[in-house]
Amino acid sequence: MASVTFRNVYKRFGDVIAVNNLNIAVDDKEFLVLVGPSGCGKTTALRCLAGLEEISDGEILIGDRVVNDVAPKDRDIAMVFQSYALYPHLSVYDNMAFGLKLRKVPKDEIKRRVNEAADILGIRDLLDRKPRQLSGGQRQRVAVGRAIVREPKVFLFDEPLSNLDAKLRVAMRAEISKLHQRLKTTFIYVTHDQIEAMTMATRIAVINKGVLQQLDTPQNLYDRPNNLFVAGFIGSPAMNFFPGRLRKDGDKLLVDTGDFSVAIPAKYAKPYESHVGKEIIFGIRPENIHDSEFIPPNVDVEKVAVKVDVTELMGNEIFLYLVSGKNTFVARVDPRSKLRLGQQAQVAFDMDSIHIFDAATEEAIR
Amino acid sequence: MATAKMKFRRGMDFRRAILPYLYLVPAFAVMSVITFYPLIYQVIISFTDFQTKDLRFGLASPELNFIGFKNYTDILTGGLPVQNFNFTRVLVYNFWWAITNVMVHVPAGVLIAVLLNTPGLWFKKVYRAIYILPVVIPPLVVAVVWQNIFHETNGAMNQFLTTVSQWFGATDPVRIRWLTEYTPPIPWLLPTGPLTLAYYAMMIANFWLGWPFMTVVATGALQSIPKDLYEAASIDGASGPQQFWNITVPLLRPAMIPAAVYGFITSFNLFAFVFFMTNGGPARSTEILVTFAYDLVRNLRLYGAAAAFSVFIFIVALIVFLVTNKITRATESYT
Repeated sequence: MASVTFRNVYKRFGDVIAVNNLNIAVDDKEFLVLVGPSGCGKTTALRCLAGLEEISDGEILIGDRVVNDVAPKDRDIAMVFQSYALYPHLSVYDNMAFGLKLRKVPKDEIKRRVNEAADILGIRDLLDRKPRQLSGGQRQRVAVGRAIVREPKVFLFDEPLSNLDAKLRVAMRAEISKLHQRLKTTFIYVTHDQIEAMTMATRIAVINKGVLQQLDTPQNLYDRPNNLFVAGFIGSPAMNFFPGRLRKDGDKLLVDTGDFSVAIPAKYAKPYESHVGKEIIFGIRPENIHDSEFIPPNVDVEKVAVKVDVTELMGNEIFLYLVSGKNTFVARVDPRSKLRLGQQAQVAFDMDSIHIFDAATEEAIR
Repeated sequence: MATAKMKFRRGMDFRRAILPYLYLVPAFAVMSVITFYPLIYQVIISFTDFQTKDLRFGLASPELNFIGFKNYTDILTGGLPVQNFNFTRVLVYNFWWAITNVMVHVPAGVLIAVLLNTPGLWFKKVYRAIYILPVVIPPLVVAVVWQNIFHETNGAMNQFLTTVSQWFGATDPVRIRWLTEYTPPIPWLLPTGPLTLAYYAMMIANFWLGWPFMTVVATGALQSIPKDLYEAASIDGASGPQQFWNITVPLLRPAMIPAAVYGFITSFNLFAFVFFMTNGGPARSTEILVTFAYDLVRNLRLYGAAAAFSVFIFIVALIVFLVTNKITRATESYT
């Protein structure tokens, strides 16, 4: 049981800065997910924590101990690799027992721990098999089991689900969440999949180009993204963005995209006053754009004229790909919507759930 | 109508069935002449007292006598007109020679491959180009060069040892009779026969010849071991040597066992090297089966006995092949 702290951590590979001044404080028993596009430095950060890479600058702490110069084996961590990295010549039992044998844990204790972990993961009847005789999902469990038996202070997961098929991935996601609740240990989990991040994390660190963009709870990241990158990365389908300008029309504050204008409700207008006349980016999530016929009650809406370009029926909802002038964007509307391909129509923007970013800095205006 | 169609189809089937055999004919024709014919001929003359005078008419020679298994029993009981001949001794020595070579070459090859595989090592490609050299130099050249190195008075080995001994205050030049001394330095090492100094000299020379191949194989196998296994092991708590024994060695095994078998068979029948370096001497102490068989023909003109000898070698090689084939199948790839 331990906290983990990244303090001004840098990792450079020659001229490339893979991790750029990373500061994260992970609480004990937290499930922290590092998420970002591939090549953003999230895996490098995890490998630095594991001790597989040396950091170029800064400090990494596990608990209160600075581990910069501590060998991986002495950091009291366990890691699940993307490729599982199971020892191909050892049985499942020996794969799980390997670390304990090296640490001279008594045989009875090894047996007890391996069997216990196997029971948790439902792989008790696979203990005699070799990794090649296992399916992807079973290998995944063995890799997790190998981490569990070590009873480490911190669990590290490096994209553990990306080699599984979609259905299994969803099932394993739930299992890893359950495991976290059961083990009550610090989990640090790297993924490029924002859905994995949203569903499992107690907090998410969004990283782009080696720089931490935002560290927050999943709901806060979704509702109040700090900048354009986070807003675009979290959520599927992604948030719609419209470059435009803030304009005053009498008392009303308008977002003018050139093709359409929408009025910002007076109660939200205050922070934006200072940006009147400036370039901004207006953001709205697909689920906050409604078919005019099916507007939920008690929302402030602004109507926008659009042409329906593509419709995708999902059963429980419809994705509408809409065109307004030079802008194309997605709406996620009620399945009863009658809007069809090629139709001219009006959709309603829910103005209670808008995001406005400074076009120059890409930071949210608040 | 229907029958005509059937006939046509039957013709097609026949042609289709015979086609693969047609493709095999050219290869078999060549092999019949250069492999099967001599093989069968040799087995036949191994049951005769074939000598030089029979060469003219071959098997039709009027003086050729079929003597049954006499050649075989002569070989096994020491009945050949050769001094100090003991088949068991030669056979045991031959196995010993092949096994000890492999036992040195494989670990050395693996070790060198592991060292040269160190990340960040400079000029890796240069080393890899250099160590392939012994593989492509003919054994004849290697044997002659090493024969000179081990020369009693002018050889590089004794000169080197002289220089070294002078550092420690010795004044006399070192005169080790590497290839001619008969008294074995470690008498108990091989109970059936003397392991003369020549054996050790040949081990050194053949080491030079043998390790690069093992290193080539081991280097290839090393590069196919995923790096994350070492990372997982280092997190699991394995030190460098523990990673070597627990990951590198077991994962090299599927590649190294066939290589070791190949090395064994190569050393077992290493005719050119043995023939040119010591010619089986001193006093036949480094003779292996193939050089012995050749000697029977070349010096004693005992074609029949030599043929029987070759049949023995063939049987031994076959047994080795069958056993190792079983082993290698048992250790097929892990993935």
